[in-house]
Amino acid sequence: MSSSQILKGILEGCLLSIIGKGETYGYEMIEKLHASGFTMVKEGSIYPLLLRMKKEGLVATTQKKVPSGGPKRKYYSLTSKGEEELEEFKKRWSAISGSVDTLLGKDG
Amino acid sequence: MQVSKESQEFLKNLRVYLLSSGKNEQEINDIVEELEDHLYEAEKNGKDVDDIIGQSPKDYMNQLADEMPLDLTGVLKFIPIIILGGFSFILLEDAIRGNLEYALLEIIGYPSVFLINLFLIGAAFKYLASTKLSTTKQWLILSIVGMVPTALFIGIYYLDHFIETPAFQLGTFGVASAVVVSISVFIGIAVWSKSWVTIIIPLLLFLPKVLIDMTRIQGDTKLIINSILPFLLVGIYLLIVSKKEQQT
Repeated sequence: MSSSQILKGILEGCLLSIIGKGETYGYEMIEKLHASGFTMVKEGSIYPLLLRMKKEGLVATTQKKVPSGGPKRKYYSLTSKGEEELEEFKKRWSAISGSVDTLLGKDG
Repeated sequence: MQVSKESQEFLKNLRVYLLSSGKNEQEINDIVEELEDHLYEAEKNGKDVDDIIGQSPKDYMNQLADEMPLDLTGVLKFIPIIILGGFSFILLEDAIRGNLEYALLEIIGYPSVFLINLFLIGAAFKYLASTKLSTTKQWLILSIVGMVPTALFIGIYYLDHFIETPAFQLGTFGVASAVVVSISVFIGIAVWSKSWVTIIIPLLLFLPKVLIDMTRIQGDTKLIINSILPFLLVGIYLLIVSKKEQQT
């Protein structure tokens, strides 16, 4: 598994988490990611992931008018399958991060 | 909402790339609009298209294309239309010339050329949309793609003289029905595709010939007018269309 694939898996989990906190759209997701320190994530890279997550039925989309007027904007929300996947990711992540922390702690 | 020239260029190329990869048009519109929205927000915050898509545009387009299913019914739907349209074209031209005899080789050969051509054009557009090339190189590729069908048509024409295949000839009634069928096909495609192209192009190509036949113009003058005027008219038409497209 290449490092970009690991990052993709983590990124997908983070997107699930962001969308799980309330309906949102692409640019807002990126702002939240960057605010959490994911500055290495290229903005465009979330869209192929979002396409896949939609294909897998993890997220649903609706078109809504932008409050300030103008064209429609695509909003994402979690499906029940997406919520399950988010719970799975949280479990996987705490297992992985726990192990890595333990290991690094021993070294240091 | 207006994004920068570079962003518009990228979105246009993305659309062409996905279309020539055989993706569903609705899904293409969806993702292009979504990215346009993103680029607009990003540009307001002083970022440009390179910040958004990273790497090479080609890689990024490919990543998106990988996540979109092939729209097989959408692609297959075009094949009979192209063959039908192409055949009507040949039929109408030959009917005006009064020569309607087809060898089996031609009946199989011409549609095959249309399909090969369709495939080549798709591949060329996909390549051009994702690769930055000089204008000269772009034109070179397009000219080669444009020449292939002509070469194949000439090939079939000569092969037909060497190989005997069963021939079918149409009489006066056949010619008349061929004209009616061809014209209905053009009108049908125009209605289906909601575009005037399949009515205007045959009109520009064939009408001058029919009209000149009615005049007293004869000999070389007739030959020259017949061979230049139709293409000149189509050229002017395409120019007008592309001017219009740029304005919108």
